[in-house]
Amino acid sequence: MKDYIKYYAGVDIGSVSIKAALVSNRRLIAAELVASGASYKDAAQKVLYSVLVQAGLDAESLSGVVVTGLGSESAPFPARQISDISCQAMGCHYLFPSARTVINIGGQFTKVAKITPQGRVVDFLMSEKCVAGSGRFLQVIARILHVTLENIGPLSLQSREPVEFSTNCAVFAESETISRIAEGARAEDILAGVHRAMAIKVAMLVKGVKMEPDVVLMGGGGEDAGLVLAIGEALGTRILVPEQPRVSTAYGAACLAELDLAL
Amino acid sequence: MPFAGIDIGSTMTKAIIVDHEEQILASVIGPTGAEHRHLALKVMDEALQKAGLAMEGLDFIVATGYGRISVPFADKQITEITCHARGIRALLPTVRIIIDIGGQDSKGIKLDTEGKVANFVMNDKCAAGTGRFLEVIAETLGVKLDQLGKISLTAEAYVQISNTCTVFAEHEVTSRLAEGASIPEIVAGLHEAIAGRVVNMVRHLGMEKDVVVTGGGAMNIGLVRAIENKVGFPVLIPPEPLLTGALGAALAGHDFVRRGVTPDHGRRRERVTFFQ
Repeated sequence: MKDYIKYYAGVDIGSVSIKAALVSNRRLIAAELVASGASYKDAAQKVLYSVLVQAGLDAESLSGVVVTGLGSESAPFPARQISDISCQAMGCHYLFPSARTVINIGGQFTKVAKITPQGRVVDFLMSEKCVAGSGRFLQVIARILHVTLENIGPLSLQSREPVEFSTNCAVFAESETISRIAEGARAEDILAGVHRAMAIKVAMLVKGVKMEPDVVLMGGGGEDAGLVLAIGEALGTRILVPEQPRVSTAYGAACLAELDLAL
Repeated sequence: MPFAGIDIGSTMTKAIIVDHEEQILASVIGPTGAEHRHLALKVMDEALQKAGLAMEGLDFIVATGYGRISVPFADKQITEITCHARGIRALLPTVRIIIDIGGQDSKGIKLDTEGKVANFVMNDKCAAGTGRFLEVIAETLGVKLDQLGKISLTAEAYVQISNTCTVFAEHEVTSRLAEGASIPEIVAGLHEAIAGRVVNMVRHLGMEKDVVVTGGGAMNIGLVRAIENKVGFPVLIPPEPLLTGALGAALAGHDFVRRGVTPDHGRRRERVTFFQ
C-alpha cells in the first residue's frame, strides 16, 4: 500500500538555519532543522536526507521537492524554487485556515504578509533596511546577558519592570544594555524591554499591510514566548503560533510541491 | 571672572574654562566612561586644575550635551544645539550651516545672519550616519578609528556599501573583504555612506555657505572630503572640532552673567548619572 502514498518535501534555506519538511496529503510526516554553516549545499542535503530517514524513505520516494529561502539557488538536488513569501503564506494557510496576516521573524529579517482565505499573498513588507525587528537584535542582547536563546522567552515573562530603551536601533541598544547592567537592571527586565522595542518595529510593518485577524507568528520568533506576548500587546490582538514555528515555511514549500503536482 | 562649559557627549566629555575676555584658560577632553559614565566630574576637575582654579572660583558653569540633564555641579543646562551655535558664532562668524558628527548622533544646525539657531535636524535614533557606524566597522576591519581618514585617502575608488543598518553593513563589509576588496576602498565606501546620509539630512535645512563640520567626524579627513564632495564646495573645520559645544556653553555662561542671571551656588560635587 505504501507505494500509493505520495510524499513531498519542502526545504527552506535560510541564513541561520536550513529547514526541511516532509508532507503527504498536507500532513506533516517529518521535519528537521540544521545550522546553515559554511556550505548551504551540504547542510541542505543533510537536512533533506534526515527527514527521509525519519520517515523510512529514500530520495526516490519523493514525488516533488520545492526549495525556498535566501539560499534557494544553492539547492544541491533538483527542486522547484518558490519565493519564501509564497511558501510562508501557504504554510500558514494550511496550519491556520483563519489566518489573514502572517508575521515571520527570522534570524536576519522580519517579513509580514497579508493573505487571502486561499493562502495567496496580497501585500507584503520586509524589514531589510534595519535589523531592529529581527532575531539578530535579540541575539546581540542575549550574548551580552549570557542568556541562551531558548531561555530568553521564559526569562522575559518574569519581568515586572521592563527597561525602556531610548531607540529601536540594535547598535545603540547594545550600549544601552551595558549601561543598564552597570546600573543594576535585571536580565529579565532588559529582555522584556528588548521584546517591546522589537514589537514596536514589527507592529509598524504589520500596520503597513493593514492587519486583519487572525494573526499568525512563524519563524524563530514564534518560539520566544516573551516576544509573542509583546507583539500581541503592541497589536492589541491574539497571536497564533504553530507548534513548530521554525519549519512552517518549509512545510508551506512541501504543500506547494504537493499542490503543484496534484494539479 | 572665569566661566566654564562642560559638554557631556555619549563618548567624550569636553570641558573648557574661559576668562571674562573669552580667552581660553584651559580645555580638557576625556572619556565619558562607556559603562558608568561618571568620568565627567573628573574631566571638569582636570580643567580646573589646568586653569589653577577651584570650582567655587567659577562665575558660571553651563552643562550641555547628551548627559547634561543631571550634572550636580552645573548652574544651568543648555541644549547642545544652542551651545554649538554659540561656539561657532565666536569662532567662525561666517558660518550658516553646522554639521556635527558625534559618537552617537549627527545633526545639522542652520544659523541666521546673527549666528542664532534658525532651524536644526538631528538623528539619534539609528547608528547609521553617526560615529558609531565607523566605530563598529573599524573594529571589524581591525583598523584604528583615528587612522580611517588617512587610510581612505589612499583609495583610488570606493566600494559601495548598500546596507543602511550598521549590523547589516558589518556583514556586507566582511563579504566584500572576502571577495578581495581592499581596506582603503571599503573605508572610502563607509565615508561615502555616512556623508550621504548626513548631507541628505542636512539638505532639509537648505545648504548655505559657509558650512562647518564639527564633532569627532571633523577629525576624519576622509569623511570631511566625502562631505565636501556631496555639498559641492569646501567646508570649514574649527581648530578644535570637539570643543565647540563646550566653548559655546562657557560663553553662554558669560551671556547669563551679563544679563544679570545669578548662578546657583548649590553646586554638588557628585558624579553625573544617566538614565534616571
